Amino acid sequence: MSNPFVIFWTVMVFTSIAWYAFLLFFIGVKGGKEIKEMTKTLAARPEEEKKS
Amino acid sequence: MKLALIDWIIIVVYLAGCMAAGIWMRRFVRGVEDFAVAGREMNVNLGIASLAATELGVITVMYAAQAGYQKGFAGATVGVLMALAMFFVGKTGFIIQPLRAAGVMTIPELFEKRFNKKVRWLAGFVVILGGLLNMGIFLKIGGQFLIHVSGVPETHLKWVMTVLLGLILLYTTLGGMLSVLVTDYLQFLVMGLGIVVISVLVILQLGWNGLLLELWTCWDGSRAGTGQTLKSHPFNPFHPTSWGWAFVIWQTLFQLAAVTTWQPNISRVLAAKDAATARQVYMRSAFYFVGRWALPVLWGVGALVYFSRNGGAPEDSINAMPAYLGQLLPIGAIGLVIAAMLAAEMSTDSGYLLTWATVIYNDLIMPCVKRPLSQRQRLFLTRALVLGIGVFLMFWGLWYELPGDAWSYLAVTGNIYLASVFTLLVAGLYWRRARSAGAYAALVLGAVGPVLFLVLNLLVTKGHLPPSLRISAELAGASSFGLAFFGMIVGSLLAEKTPSMETAK
Repeated sequence: MSNPFVIFWTVMVFTSIAWYAFLLFFIGVKGGKEIKEMTKTLAARPEEEKKS
Repeated sequence: MKLALIDWIIIVVYLAGCMAAGIWMRRFVRGVEDFAVAGREMNVNLGIASLAATELGVITVMYAAQAGYQKGFAGATVGVLMALAMFFVGKTGFIIQPLRAAGVMTIPELFEKRFNKKVRWLAGFVVILGGLLNMGIFLKIGGQFLIHVSGVPETHLKWVMTVLLGLILLYTTLGGMLSVLVTDYLQFLVMGLGIVVISVLVILQLGWNGLLLELWTCWDGSRAGTGQTLKSHPFNPFHPTSWGWAFVIWQTLFQLAAVTTWQPNISRVLAAKDAATARQVYMRSAFYFVGRWALPVLWGVGALVYFSRNGGAPEDSINAMPAYLGQLLPIGAIGLVIAAMLAAEMSTDSGYLLTWATVIYNDLIMPCVKRPLSQRQRLFLTRALVLGIGVFLMFWGLWYELPGDAWSYLAVTGNIYLASVFTLLVAGLYWRRARSAGAYAALVLGAVGPVLFLVLNLLVTKGHLPPSLRISAELAGASSFGLAFFGMIVGSLLAEKTPSMETAK
């Protein structure tokens, strides 16, 4: 199975699995921090801005 | 029923966590801006999680797996094209940069600035027509997946759909985009874990080399006793038996239009802190979209090999992958996979419900309201629209029968507005001679091909018209782009002598 299309799809499938596994941890940590920051910013808005 | 106690525990813990997080975000909603675009406070990684979770639903998994079952690995070509389009747009800022800089909440709102109020309204109508028809089959397909994997009797489909929709509506109507972002994040994690686990299990069960060889025998018919179970070349998308050149060319254009105009994608661009953040979200999430197709296609290929070997394939090809997973997954893994697919379904449905409700509110209703509404009334109206779309989904999902494969239906209904809105965006942002008359012509002509596809093919399916009148998806889709650009150019040139509207931003 040395057909270039076979090699291409093999690379795509295995890279995708590795990429999804990596993102799981990376986004898990970074995204969690961003949610904290976002809720802090939203909670800290002055009352007038909240109502506008 | 195949679910054990541990499976139920996983599902209930996931659902409870997700609902609690979604409802908790309600406290931060102060107005429509918070509800629709999260107060424009979204950052890069949360944006990637939200975009990825919204754009990967059970419907995606089902149609991609169906493509794998029918076309082998070549079925994943669309994902590669989409990833290339995402990367190109993120790298260059094509359309998304000026769109985010314009500070609008929806795409049609930009058209009022560039053309006029009527173009905004008509564009809003076309966006909603395509968007709601597109979303109409999500619930049913999601319900079908859950039923086939879990072994729940098919007669319970209505109830599975209703409960699922009820949960999604609860947190979406309360917290809007803020709830959607946080639940998308949780759903991204659960869904990602489920996808990786299933993919590894499929490869472990069949072996990678074994899978490739058996897939080839499905295509060349050399396996004793089964004959040719795959009618399409399993690896080469350009082969005449596979997608073919015409489809690949249409999809290249379609994906470029989709990533720049598909409102659920664009709502993440508009919720981003600035244009640079939006571009980073696109570039960094581009490769995710290869896996969005390639991994479910792998499961579909696994289903084809499994059923070719053992027999017992379901009649409808779209159910082959969930039926295969139902056989493959051990206790515990089924619970994780169901939680993952519930996550996928919920994130997609909530994102889409919110997006279409925002367009109806912002572009169809608000331009017609003469007396300004209070913040509270506007919020109530948007929430009521989310509920109304939920009811529509329920009835459309139960009533409508797909005229062909799921992907063609989704691509063509999406094309109702992709072709025309893409044309308006490109012309409005980059062509100074674009005029309102051209915009009207593009909106109408862009919808003709896909609407004809839906109506004629439904009549053929029901036996009211001969099969020779059936229109192919690539013809309907590609012609809509051609007609929309033709309408914009001819309409604008003919109207050039009239006073111009505002110049492009």
